[in-house]
Amino acid sequence: MKKKIISSLLAVSMIAASIAGCGSAEQAPAAEETKQEEAPAAEEASAAEAVAETAEATSDEPVTLKWALWDVSSTVYYQPLIDAFTAEHPNVTVEMVDLGSTDYSTVLGTQLSGAGSDFDVVTVKDVPGYVSLVNKGVLEPLNDLIAQDGVDLSLYNGVTDQVTIDGNLYELPFRSDIWVLYYNKDIFDTAGVAYPTNDMTWEEYDKLARSVTDTTPGSEIYGAHYHTWRSTIQLDGILDGKNTIVDGSYEFTKPYYEMVLAQQKDGVCMDYATLKTQGLHYSAAFAQGNVATMNMGSWFIATLIQKIKDGEYTDCTNWGMVKYPHAEGVEPGSTLSTITALAIPTSAPNKDMAWEFVKFVSGEQGAEVMAKTGNIPAMTNDKIVDLIASMDGFPTDEASKEALVTSHTYLEMPANDKSSEIETVLNEQHDLIMNEEVSVDDAITAMNEGVQAIIGQ
Amino acid sequence: MKSKKRNRIIGQVIVYVLLILLALLMLVPFVWMLSASLKFNKDVFVIPFEWIPKEPRWQNYIDIWTKIPLAKFTLNTAKLTIIVTFLQLLTSSFAAYAFAKLEFKGRNTLFLAYVATIAVPWQVYMVPQFMFMRRLGLADTHLAIIILQAFSAFGVFMMRQFYEGIPDSLCEAARIDGMTEYGIYAKIMLPLSKPALSTLIIFTFVNTWNDFLGPLIYLTTESKKTLQIGLKMFISQYSAEYGLIMAASVLSLIPVFIVFISLQKYFVAGITTGSVKG
Amino acid sequence: MAAQLSTMEKNMKKRQRRRNLIAYSFIAPNFLGFAIFTLGPIVLALLMSFAEWDGSNAMKFIGLKNFVEIFKDDRFLASLRNTVVYSIFTVPITLVIALGLAILLNQKIKGRNFFRTVTFFPYVASLVAVAAVWNMLFTPAKGGIVNQFLMNVLHVAPLKWAASSSTVMLTIIMFSVWKNMGYYMVIYLAGLQGISEDLYEAASLDGANSWQKFRHITVPQLKPTTFFVTIMLTINCFKVYDIVYMLAGGSNGVVNKSAMVLVYYIYEEAFRNWKLGKASASALVLFAIVLVVTLIQFKGEKNYAND
Repeated sequence: MKKKIISSLLAVSMIAASIAGCGSAEQAPAAEETKQEEAPAAEEASAAEAVAETAEATSDEPVTLKWALWDVSSTVYYQPLIDAFTAEHPNVTVEMVDLGSTDYSTVLGTQLSGAGSDFDVVTVKDVPGYVSLVNKGVLEPLNDLIAQDGVDLSLYNGVTDQVTIDGNLYELPFRSDIWVLYYNKDIFDTAGVAYPTNDMTWEEYDKLARSVTDTTPGSEIYGAHYHTWRSTIQLDGILDGKNTIVDGSYEFTKPYYEMVLAQQKDGVCMDYATLKTQGLHYSAAFAQGNVATMNMGSWFIATLIQKIKDGEYTDCTNWGMVKYPHAEGVEPGSTLSTITALAIPTSAPNKDMAWEFVKFVSGEQGAEVMAKTGNIPAMTNDKIVDLIASMDGFPTDEASKEALVTSHTYLEMPANDKSSEIETVLNEQHDLIMNEEVSVDDAITAMNEGVQAIIGQ
Repeated sequence: MKSKKRNRIIGQVIVYVLLILLALLMLVPFVWMLSASLKFNKDVFVIPFEWIPKEPRWQNYIDIWTKIPLAKFTLNTAKLTIIVTFLQLLTSSFAAYAFAKLEFKGRNTLFLAYVATIAVPWQVYMVPQFMFMRRLGLADTHLAIIILQAFSAFGVFMMRQFYEGIPDSLCEAARIDGMTEYGIYAKIMLPLSKPALSTLIIFTFVNTWNDFLGPLIYLTTESKKTLQIGLKMFISQYSAEYGLIMAASVLSLIPVFIVFISLQKYFVAGITTGSVKG
Repeated sequence: MAAQLSTMEKNMKKRQRRRNLIAYSFIAPNFLGFAIFTLGPIVLALLMSFAEWDGSNAMKFIGLKNFVEIFKDDRFLASLRNTVVYSIFTVPITLVIALGLAILLNQKIKGRNFFRTVTFFPYVASLVAVAAVWNMLFTPAKGGIVNQFLMNVLHVAPLKWAASSSTVMLTIIMFSVWKNMGYYMVIYLAGLQGISEDLYEAASLDGANSWQKFRHITVPQLKPTTFFVTIMLTINCFKVYDIVYMLAGGSNGVVNKSAMVLVYYIYEEAFRNWKLGKASASALVLFAIVLVVTLIQFKGEKNYAND
């Protein structure tokens, strides 16, 4: 018996030691961090030249970069990005490690625990995930590297400001998705109603959705479709730029909830409770061909094009998109966005090369590769918009192309220490409102109190 | 006498009607899986559900093999499942014998420790356990999964309970005959616990076969991944291919049923008269 | 005399030691693996409940602060309440149905193997499929089968089932019984095989009816199995997670207070907020409850053994 106790104690202490040891012992590679002497020169040169120059500076020893990401088999841009990078750095091999999309943040967080990981580059999926990694102290701050290599952050349209934490930036975005309004042209043609436009107020949008709705049982046409995410309704309110979702006061969401609840009551959109339990994906909803308009992120473009090409979607082949509706007196083109970014773990074995890779992928060359595969890079300009709109299968009307141009973008969730806790409160109240279990006013009170309690902690 | 017989027939009929109703209720999900496996993803969750697809997509059953390395994943899962089930069976039934039939110091405390650990959700000790395994160089190895699964407390607990049901007099008699404890375990306990061993095989097999989070966290190299990770690969960030998932799920159930049905025969023979009298 | 006694004592001690060693040799293969890879990390994780840790930065011991915090947290209290309610209903219902099914399917009826396999099916089937079928039956829409039945046969108002905070736990309990009864039935089936036919034959000769046989042979003989089933059921009920996530979690993956359960809370604290200490503290509460239930059962089992 004693033996058993001893052996179990031994086991515990072994584990404890291994965890405690991780912090100190495995941070040795930090010494390598002393950067190339070329830095001042690079600062003056243009971004593209900088890449070439630092490439010369690094030795030709073979390097393997381990890149944590998700959905390798269904993502079209990973391999082209790697190919483009290795063309410039022939000594580098990039190894993709797929951690799966559904539990990505959990798996990545576990892998990076205790600094024993050997990832060189990690993809950051969303802002709450980013914040938790930063809080854990496992991401390398990039400020010095950015200053040293003269990376022009203004090309990211201010997005990087929204993910700066205490003055430090720990990731560079390479993909950015904006929210637009998709519509099914056939439904509008049949109803004899004019298509949505790039300049619609919310009232005009509501009227339009109602005008194409048909509530005849068995042949319903839904004027609008809202996926069960809170973003589809709650966040419409932040687009006037007067409020943010982490302030702790949510009165501004009221008109949007009231609009959608009225639509739900009148059969303009599907019932939230049914949608939630049924688990209908937004893409499947739109593909049924009875949804006239749907607000959704630009990631849906690639899915739509692909599925129509494959012959799976047959009832929404004639689609288009326009800019998000806007509040009265606000410039059209204000919309929500999400970013996907790259970061370097503090435990990365090849930090220098990892930085080269991050800079490349989120820079201009990476942006072009992204656009060629039909995805919107974080760094956009007219050329990029042209590239995407010229893709085979993209709607040919001018309005759809124009819809990609934004005036202001607001992150679905700005970087905030408490973002995941705030989200929990907001999600719960969203669900209660849409299930019509509590009134909008009561839910707003609950949101205010809940979030203020979290902020006050 | 006649009315008694009639009552029995009526009773039988009621039992069968109930059983058939129950069977139908239990089979609906399977029919759903089959039906969904023959559809495009966009049609899977649409209501009213089309039980018999108008244009069945047999292509799904071909696509699952080409879109992901399913054959490799299945092979990995089979390997892990067989090793884990074997180890689990061996070590648990061995340890359970001591807990059920031997007196020794610390028996109850140790046993309670076993049972109590089952109550701790894996989510709580997943991170320290992972860091410890990585320290030992076991991250991204099949050995890690085997170690995690093979020594579970569940098997020990279950086998101990079944051994408890076997009369102590049997062991005592064998001891008097001069049989060693190892002999009693091998010659008396094991043959008598076939139903329990079968149950443990079924449960361990199902658990390991369907395990998802363990392999997901530990196995990062593509060629080492398992079936359940593969299934989740059809759910990507922006779309989920439920038609394909169901096709693969239907296929992945086949081994489970083979194991279940082939072990059914051990659920018939109980302790025979002879052995009890020993 | 005294010397004789001491040699006798010595011999006894020696024999006892030998017996212990044999017992340990049986346990060792499993126990070593178990202690190092499971028990160790668990003990460590439970100690973590007195610390603040995010998995990376240095661990900081903070005493009972985690416990104070969770017991002030609405979501934790809700999850504790829901888990207890869920377990109180699910454990006995599943147990009774599983036992009934096992006895029924242990009889010599035609198609026995088929029925056994079918009953086990919902346990092994893909959770997505089982939940989808369930949600089709129990859809919040008025057109759903169950709601139609409520309205047209029972003449009561339709329910919103998983979509409403008042009926969501009820829905989860029913679903869980349906999905898991086959699993526990298999355990009972195995237990039933261990009962000697002789006992029943003897009882028949004494003129016992079916109920008496059940009451006085089956139930007491199954006691070790029932002990196992009760504890496993209780533990599994307290650890319920994926069913709740599947039925009550929206596409945000968020479960509302009305359906929060302990392990979901633990998951949220551990992997969304990376507060591993707080997660451990909640687990320790779960652990304590299950331990008390197990100890009570354990005592009951020992009493039975002494009978």
